Amino acid sequence: MYKVVIGLEVHCEVLTNTKNFSNAKNSYTNIPNINVMPVDLGLPGILPVVNKEACKKALKTAMALNCQTPDEIIFDRKNYYYPDLPKGYQITQVTKPFGRNGHLTFLVNGEEKTVDIHQLHLEEDTAALEHYTNYSLIDYNRSGIPLMEIVTEPCIYSADEAVAFLENLRNVFLYCEVSEAKSDKGQMRCDVNISLMKDTDTKLGTKVEMKNINAFNSVKAAIEYEIKRQSELLDKGEKIVQETRRIDEDGKTYSMREKVDAVDYKYFVEPNLAPVKITDEFKEKVRSEIPELEYSRIKRYLKLGINLEDASTIARDKYISDYFDELLNYTKNISIATNYLTIVILGSLNKLNISIKELFITPKMLGEVVNLVDKNEVSNQLAKNIIYEAMEKNIEPLEIIKSKNIKQISDEGELINIIKKIISESPDQVKEYLSGKEMVANFLVGKVMKETNKQANPATSLKLIKEELERMR
Amino acid sequence: MIEREKIESYAEKLMFRMKPEELDTLEKEFDIILKQMKLIENIKDIEKVNPMTFPFITYEAELRSDEEESDSLTVDEVLKNSKHVVKDQIKVPKVVE
Amino acid sequence: MEYIKSTIEDLRKSLDNKEITGEELFNKAKTLANDSQNEINAFVTIMDSYMPKGKTKTILTDIPYSLKDNFSTTGILTTASSNILKNYVPVYDATVYKKLKDAGAILVGKTVLDELAMGGTGTTGHTGIVRNPWDKSRLIGGSSAGSCASVASGIVPFSIGSDTGDSVRKPASFGGVVGFKPTYGRISRYGLFAFASSLDHVAMLTRCVKDAAIVTNILKGYDPLDMTSLKDDGLDYTKDLDKSIKGKKFFYIKEACSYDKKSDMLSKTLSQFDDLIKKIEKLGATVDEISIDKDLLNAIYPSYMVISCAEATSNNSNLTGIPFASRIDGNTYEEIMFNTRTEGFSELIKRRFVIGSYVLQKENQEKLFLNACRVRRLIVDKMHELFKDYDALIMPASGGIAPKFGEASDVLSDEYLILENHMAIGNFGGFPSITIPYGFVDSMPIGVNITGNIFKDNEVLNIAKQIEDILDFKGQVAGDKNV
Repeated sequence: MYKVVIGLEVHCEVLTNTKNFSNAKNSYTNIPNINVMPVDLGLPGILPVVNKEACKKALKTAMALNCQTPDEIIFDRKNYYYPDLPKGYQITQVTKPFGRNGHLTFLVNGEEKTVDIHQLHLEEDTAALEHYTNYSLIDYNRSGIPLMEIVTEPCIYSADEAVAFLENLRNVFLYCEVSEAKSDKGQMRCDVNISLMKDTDTKLGTKVEMKNINAFNSVKAAIEYEIKRQSELLDKGEKIVQETRRIDEDGKTYSMREKVDAVDYKYFVEPNLAPVKITDEFKEKVRSEIPELEYSRIKRYLKLGINLEDASTIARDKYISDYFDELLNYTKNISIATNYLTIVILGSLNKLNISIKELFITPKMLGEVVNLVDKNEVSNQLAKNIIYEAMEKNIEPLEIIKSKNIKQISDEGELINIIKKIISESPDQVKEYLSGKEMVANFLVGKVMKETNKQANPATSLKLIKEELERMR
Repeated sequence: MIEREKIESYAEKLMFRMKPEELDTLEKEFDIILKQMKLIENIKDIEKVNPMTFPFITYEAELRSDEEESDSLTVDEVLKNSKHVVKDQIKVPKVVE
Repeated sequence: MEYIKSTIEDLRKSLDNKEITGEELFNKAKTLANDSQNEINAFVTIMDSYMPKGKTKTILTDIPYSLKDNFSTTGILTTASSNILKNYVPVYDATVYKKLKDAGAILVGKTVLDELAMGGTGTTGHTGIVRNPWDKSRLIGGSSAGSCASVASGIVPFSIGSDTGDSVRKPASFGGVVGFKPTYGRISRYGLFAFASSLDHVAMLTRCVKDAAIVTNILKGYDPLDMTSLKDDGLDYTKDLDKSIKGKKFFYIKEACSYDKKSDMLSKTLSQFDDLIKKIEKLGATVDEISIDKDLLNAIYPSYMVISCAEATSNNSNLTGIPFASRIDGNTYEEIMFNTRTEGFSELIKRRFVIGSYVLQKENQEKLFLNACRVRRLIVDKMHELFKDYDALIMPASGGIAPKFGEASDVLSDEYLILENHMAIGNFGGFPSITIPYGFVDSMPIGVNITGNIFKDNEVLNIAKQIEDILDFKGQVAGDKNV
């Protein structure tokens, strides 16, 4: 058995109108080279100018990840040659990244886990290379798009932890509205550093790096494959080579290149970007825009007595969670409210394939229905049908209830007459009951429901029916 | 004194080759510049000085507001200075990672 | 009116009095430019036709000028005098070029520089050496060689160059003209091919101080495309030129002007400098001799080399043949980059890049690059301290006249004079700095340099104008004077 140590480097495209250092459009398109300014092409004489929104969002994310933030904005140059890097250097942050020494806490299979964030910095994306059989093509639309890089400490010990971290990190992006974080569009990609060591070992084993993995399940697959591959090597007493590996569709990893001596990027402060102070006012403004995050909401829901599964389901999406929190302003019955949100509402969202923002039923409307059910004024069954009908016809549930003057009949005086009538009409069932088939009572309840078109309180009805029948012994 | 191979490898990292006679001159230049830089270490408390990147800092610089520029380059302008264009993109030999 | 001797103001008058048209002016300049090419070789490109693009009438409307070939000009070949860009045609305008176009100034041609502006001789451009109009056997200096030659020989009344160490102010001295570099950021660098971004300045060459003020008025101001550009100070630099400098305090650096053994050339230059100081004192200003730590002064040159080469090697990493610059093919992208850069750069450039890359490497950065940046701080701090008491530093721009070809090279040498390199101080601190002619030695012009505190461009121009007025070199062109 070996101890697995994983560190992640996550790249995430920042949601802005324009690029990080030019005012070319930042948007995803299949038409090549239409969103390009001289800066993005690295033409002689160009100068970068920093996008305020990108800085704001990087700072916001750093704060959401509990990082220490700098007093001023400066950037550095990372120098290397590659066909997708037109300037021959990437503008990034080394001297004063937007975030340092942060952490993100979340749940992995019910267990609390905290991942330490080494650093968060803002940089620029490279151009996109498209590979063909014997040549590659360069599209500069992506060149200069703002990119956040989040580097964790090597403190992740399993594929599950890694994936859980990525999912929770993505939700931080979505909660803070700093990125769409769509992995299928490459907006969120990650490098995985993994090393194995004997439980007894004190120092980390040889680091293997896996680059540019988009889908989270590929991350899982890649890690599991590497654990298997490296364990087998170590079992055989073989050495692990320090190298960079690529992952294929099948989840297997393949060696890209062995790390000879690490490249020297010759970092130095970008002289074209004059330093800009980050005032406390600005920091506070940004901080105030950070909403309550996923894990804190889950904990709040648990305190309300909601079970972990429902709590997680609700908190997974900010807008659903916001909807639920508003719903609780209209009803006190949390269990019914939770049940109606997770079953009725989320179910319908999937069926109708719409977002909760597009839903006709407002938290207020839902709250009103929940309260009627709570007060036994509308049967559960009926209430759900009403909600479906309301969504279908875009009519408020209360309207429907009024128009059909639906109410639950719990008044015994009213019910007893109906029950007497039903019993008199069902001599066979009465015989069966008296002969011991007590189940028949439920059948009679059904008849009562039918007679009152579902408005009779089923529990009360059953009680009264049994009393009547017993009296006939 | 820096050995020849090192200098050559530096040139290589910068993506160009240098002729032997060019390296000769460069070796001499290295000796001079390194000797002169060595003298700088004698300046009192030099290590305590905060290195200067900008001629001066006013903190008046403004971040760019996130507004799109209408006149971004046309595809033709983007490709104008390359003779190697396919499907409106710049062509290079297959890049194997 | 004799065109070649005319200042911007003279030409303005003739134009406004309809004595001459913009097109006639352009054609005069164009003819002079073409005729001078064989002997001087100042131009990479000479425009063939008069194309006014002015938006409003300004003092520069229809005034011919030349532009260093490292400013981006849409549709006009821009080579930085390097083979690697010999076919490069920009698709955007440098802010400086756009402003001059909008102001109605007429571009006559793009001028030769030392390759990629790295060099001080005017001999390393890919189209050949630039000669000094005062003496064709001598160099004009660089890197703004063609710009200086085109002004010194009267082809144009002003030229835009760039100054990273003294690339405008040194040639100005060798060419007997005015070279002015305003405060860092006063003029936008957008579109100026970067050599060393933290030292690069847009600068100009003219034949009188007032013209420098006129041109700066048009070019200065904040540019949203250059984060290091300064908000406009709202001043008209021509307004205060005639103010008296009575009571002003100047200083020169003792260690730069006193040597145990002086060459004949150096003594002649320094004695003229002494005469100048006496004249300045007659104006009611004082000139003090200030002593600065010699180790620090000796560190200026190597520190300048280290910083400028480091930034240059990074700034020019975009020249790979992908997606622009003259690509030389290969079977892999690495081969393309190797072939393109090996063929495209001259030896000097490669040597500078290797030095620049070396000093940035992890293991060397502390002792080399960062120590150079520390020296930069010490020198600049010292200057700020002195500018508390003094209005300007006044120094000979050079230890002598323009060297003959072969006398000077761009190979680093052990013997150098502080006097030959002190003007880099102006770039270290971004100080406004101007060179004006102050005499002749062996029938060749020599210049004096005046450097003031940051943002004091107006004062520096005023001081320069007052000194210009007590001398007799205003508006001179090569061959004009036989001393």
